[in-house]
Amino acid sequence: MIELRNVTLKYGEKVILDKVSLAVQDNTIKAILGPSGVGKSTIIKLMLGLIKPNSGQVFVDGVDITPMKEANLYPIRRKMGIVFQGNALFDSMTIAQNMSFFLRENLRLPDEEIRRRVMEQIRFAGLEGYEDQLPESLSGGMKKRVAIGRALIFNPKMILFDEPTAGLDPVSSRKILNLITSLKKSNDLGAVFVTHIIDDVFAIADEVAVLYQSKIIFDGPTEKLHESEHPFIRSILSDKILEL
Amino acid sequence: MASTFIGNYVDSKMLRLKELLLTMQEFFYFALRAFSTLPKAKRYWRDVLDQALICGVESIPIVLVSSISIGALMSMEVGNLLEEFGAKTMLGRSTSNAVLRELGPLLMGLMLSARYGSRNGAELGAMQISEQIDALRAFGTDPIAKLVMPRLLAALIMFVPLIALSDFAGLQTGALVAEYYHKIDPGIFWNSIYPRLAPKDFVVSFLKAPVFAIIITLVSSFNGFSARGGTAGVGRSTIKGIVASSGLVLVANFYVSKIVLDIMH
Repeated sequence: MIELRNVTLKYGEKVILDKVSLAVQDNTIKAILGPSGVGKSTIIKLMLGLIKPNSGQVFVDGVDITPMKEANLYPIRRKMGIVFQGNALFDSMTIAQNMSFFLRENLRLPDEEIRRRVMEQIRFAGLEGYEDQLPESLSGGMKKRVAIGRALIFNPKMILFDEPTAGLDPVSSRKILNLITSLKKSNDLGAVFVTHIIDDVFAIADEVAVLYQSKIIFDGPTEKLHESEHPFIRSILSDKILEL
Repeated sequence: MASTFIGNYVDSKMLRLKELLLTMQEFFYFALRAFSTLPKAKRYWRDVLDQALICGVESIPIVLVSSISIGALMSMEVGNLLEEFGAKTMLGRSTSNAVLRELGPLLMGLMLSARYGSRNGAELGAMQISEQIDALRAFGTDPIAKLVMPRLLAALIMFVPLIALSDFAGLQTGALVAEYYHKIDPGIFWNSIYPRLAPKDFVVSFLKAPVFAIIITLVSSFNGFSARGGTAGVGRSTIKGIVASSGLVLVANFYVSKIVLDIMH
């Protein structure tokens, strides 16, 4: 379980998050919905301890990670996988090397075991035959699947997705959303996904938190979103776009 | 009206000063972290070798171009000047002082700042912008140990032989220009160098190698790590890195010479 408690984050004088509290239960898909540039991706980075809040706490499985030093955060981070918006694949490495890199870096596993785990993820991502190719030769949807495979390499309990369908065509988007849903069903994984596309939220999210003007204005089951009276939520439900 | 203008001006200058001090503090911690990861060199030896190839072997042409041009120029110009005083036999000594102690290492430092520093800045900046550095941290790898330490160690190792190569090429070119342009016998040229060479000449020259390695690698890497704002941000951070490291190389070149020559006078 990941929990943000009264988290405030500022860049200079600009308040990005203002006393934000939210929790993500295990084996739950939670969406964080909001307009572009509102600080949704920042929430994911806070959950991983990549950035520190100015005030408030971030708990991962009941442990407050906010005062932790970088080196102590590494084992905590391995409980979560992350898929960055631009995938953040290493462009000088092949697909298989991208997936095996962090295994070799962090775990002393025999080569055979590393190969087994990598092939497992390559099969899961439907990328058999592409393992020796460089990321630049893949389509956007395939790169995203490589990034998802890499995120699964430590067998995490939770995966964090930053705008998983941004920039993808409708077919690839659908494949990625199905992949996220299948992860929950087959691997008992929880997921947090940040998005500005409301259709994606209704397609796969169990819960949704809406971030608007640095605050969480809704946090609850996705189906309850329609009951909200907040003007911003009413407007996005009617227009179904968030590019305000 | 005037007091408001002055107040705003002072406020903006104070803000700039505060930002500068904060950046210096961040750089100091960054440098400390880079040095503290040196014991991990064994783990990242492949990266160290890769970087040694880039900053060492691949830099040989540019180092040769700069040292050959400075050796030839010094020999030609100083020879013309000494001729006026009938002291052309001292050309070797004058050329060696300039090539070994000052202009040779300085020009090499500036060339490496442009070549190796820009490569570091652009590569790390692109990795920062594309969140690859965040990915390293997110999956439990220390990006300073993986990306900065190998660059630093490789530069510390490779800049010493590069300086030696630069000194050798500069002096050889100076000797050739002395022989064919000033018609000075090579024996006379080299005899005016060898007996007068002192340990301080080599200390000044070779001490600049690690100093330049630290400046160029850490400044360019720090600027790469600080890149923000898309591809334009990579360009800005790369330029900032080159300008800052070149300026610091110039300043360090003076102080290393001054300190060593004061101590070993």
